[in-house]
Amino acid sequence: MERYVDGEAEAFEFLYRRVSPNLMGYLLRLTRNRERAEDLLQITFSKIHRARGSFLKGAPVLPWILAIARRSFLDERRSAQVRTEDLSPDGSLPEQQNEERPLPAELSDALDVALGRLPENYREAIVLTKITGLSVAEAASVLGATETAVKLRVHRGYTQLRKELEQYSRTS
Amino acid sequence: MSMHPPDPLADLPWPKPEAPSEAVSARICGACTKNLCAKRGLSAASRLSFCLVVSGLMASIGYWFGVRHHRSELGLRTGVYSAVAWGLVQAAVLFIAFAPRRGLLGSRSVRVAVAVVLPLLFLGYLSYAAWSYVPFAEFAHGARASHAFSCGLIALGVGAIVGGSVLLAWRGTNPLTPGLSGTLAGFVGGIGGALAIGIGCPSHEAWHLWAAHGLIVLALGLMGFGVGRRLLSP
Repeated sequence: MERYVDGEAEAFEFLYRRVSPNLMGYLLRLTRNRERAEDLLQITFSKIHRARGSFLKGAPVLPWILAIARRSFLDERRSAQVRTEDLSPDGSLPEQQNEERPLPAELSDALDVALGRLPENYREAIVLTKITGLSVAEAASVLGATETAVKLRVHRGYTQLRKELEQYSRTS
Repeated sequence: MSMHPPDPLADLPWPKPEAPSEAVSARICGACTKNLCAKRGLSAASRLSFCLVVSGLMASIGYWFGVRHHRSELGLRTGVYSAVAWGLVQAAVLFIAFAPRRGLLGSRSVRVAVAVVLPLLFLGYLSYAAWSYVPFAEFAHGARASHAFSCGLIALGVGAIVGGSVLLAWRGTNPLTPGLSGTLAGFVGGIGGALAIGIGCPSHEAWHLWAAHGLIVLALGLMGFGVGRRLLSP
């Protein structure tokens, strides 16, 4: 990050390769839509590019970037709430996603669907700690919460996830 | 002997990080590396100095206002001394709220503690500085209330300028605690406004100080929370 701030293009490409899969995974889990996640990825990197001068030398890069991504997601969602509904390519209104559909047969798909059913604050805490690989302290700084609150959200999220996946264990 | 069912969360195939599409990656890399040059923002010391200069400027206007309205020399001197002392507190708060530090001084919990203690400390100072006291009913009806209202409005305006200068100086630099740092910016602005008006205002009545000079600190803290979330995050 520091070499990127100093103007090295190769350093940006290296940073991008290191960070973008984690960031994309986080945004995918937040938006549950690949196109929106990719749009947000571009917005996030343009913000990082503009704000690179304010990055604290030696500070952890990923929490800083994820906090910017999260803010971009919240801003986008706020503006989407007052936006009219987009039509699907064939000109009809998009159908509501059925959140109560049964879990898929594949465990990894079932887990993804079960994660999507969690309340947003539980899901975010689990995604940051379990999938993105942040420590509890780093996740707390991204979410603007205390470490205890993050631990609690992860625990409650696990409990709910376990209930969802019990259905999977019974059917398979 | 009972058999425990296997924990479905143990060893789960958690989703792996996913790379974005090639086209998106190429667009991002192209945009971010085009004409890339070194970029270092203003140092924390320069930003801090800018905010303190604005706060000092507002205190000078308060002094000029006091001189113009023939405030006693003792009152002016007391006001200036307290503005200088609180200026040091403002500098320390800004340092904790914004200066890029790691470890304990840069931690969220220290900022929360400062956000709780600072307004209480200032309200305590106003209570200490109050020389006279009238019952609330007497304060609320009559010239005292209208004086407090106009005084409070001016202090709010001056405080908004000081707080705004803090948010302006540090805009787009804090994605991790924008609301909290914005609240502290609001408190610093409110204190700046209250002190500037305190130099020029002759009243030392307790209700007046609490309502006109103290409440604006809380009001600007609240406003700082909202505005900071928008302005301080990149």
